[in-house]
Amino acid sequence: MTGSEEASISVADSMAGAEMRRASVIVDELAGCGATHLIGLPDNATAVLFSGSPAARLGINPVHAADGGGLARLTVTREGEAFAIAAGLWLGGARPVAVIQNSGLLESGDALRGTVTRLGVPLLCLVGYRGYASLGGSPTERECREHDRAEQLRSRHLDSVAALTEPTLAAWEVPFELYRGDRDVASVGRAWRLAERRRGPVALLLTGALQ
Amino acid sequence: MLTKAELLQPLAEHRRQNDVVVTTMGVVCPWERLSQSALDFASADSAMGHAADLALGIAMARPDRRVICLNGDGSMLMSRGTLATIVESGATNLILMVVENRAYEITGGQPVPGGGKLDFAAVARACGFPSVFAFVQAEAYDAALPSLLTASGPVFVSVSVEAGNEGPIARGPGEEAIYLRTSIAEWAVRFRMALANS
Repeated sequence: MTGSEEASISVADSMAGAEMRRASVIVDELAGCGATHLIGLPDNATAVLFSGSPAARLGINPVHAADGGGLARLTVTREGEAFAIAAGLWLGGARPVAVIQNSGLLESGDALRGTVTRLGVPLLCLVGYRGYASLGGSPTERECREHDRAEQLRSRHLDSVAALTEPTLAAWEVPFELYRGDRDVASVGRAWRLAERRRGPVALLLTGALQ
Repeated sequence: MLTKAELLQPLAEHRRQNDVVVTTMGVVCPWERLSQSALDFASADSAMGHAADLALGIAMARPDRRVICLNGDGSMLMSRGTLATIVESGATNLILMVVENRAYEITGGQPVPGGGKLDFAAVARACGFPSVFAFVQAEAYDAALPSLLTASGPVFVSVSVEAGNEGPIARGPGEEAIYLRTSIAEWAVRFRMALANS
């Protein structure tokens, strides 16, 4: 092995270790809340929560992220499946968590409405916030004038998925909170408890903290 | 081609007391005429095409129970990826029956794309279901039912049935089925409790 190869692996190890730590913070919180399953279609930001994480590929044996921290995991083919499966898990006495990206969230509106919301399932949804950085510090854009909106959604500087995420959640009456990193760890339990009180979905928007 | 009665009556007779049965769309009302179990869940007035997902979730949460899902062909087409997810899940206690009536019956009988031409059993087999059955005659279905209910799961069953004329599913105190007399949210709580305590 050359020196540069060793250096590359060392950097990869370091990056993987950082991912693992960030994921473990969330998984620890979920386990403390009583979560039993992670169901979803993770993106780059949340893949470490599922199997095949960098740590697993590197042969590390982490307590949480590679084995789910005791949480059973299932990857689905479409985000709507995740909500319906989560509803079924809850009917069966389990306490699932959904893990999806915001683009999948937009795709799965009727599944969310017809299962989780309609059945009254307390469900924490970890949502990868694709394009958050493109919002330029104005995440909600709620103050934008209506006639500017369509032009903004066509802009090459803006990820339209990101621009529509928070307004969509608001329209669907799904409370949400940002998770920007370890400093927001308390938001996991807070969102979990809110979902229980409301008997409905609550979203935690991951702004890329696990990447 | 079977009638719905030829499909459902034998199933009701072979259904174990602690089996969970998830129904949707055109099968909800015919099944309610045969079963009033606390472990019946009508995925009605709910999301389009997600009854099989719901059933999978129950099966995953309760691997000690047999979960039978009576799905529609239109519903199955809306969420075909579920077939792969079911296999991926490793759930062995799920029996997914697709009732092929080739119509969106409760919304007016509009034809389902590919109705009568699409081979659901072949799709399920390709997705990796270990046990796959297809029936177009009542006699063959009757003969195979006991063994398919105990086959290595997950089990996929397609059954060709005559389209009926079930109308929209209603909920209210006047409905025959106990699970249609309440909101789906209230029944969800009762069902969850019944499953936990049974």
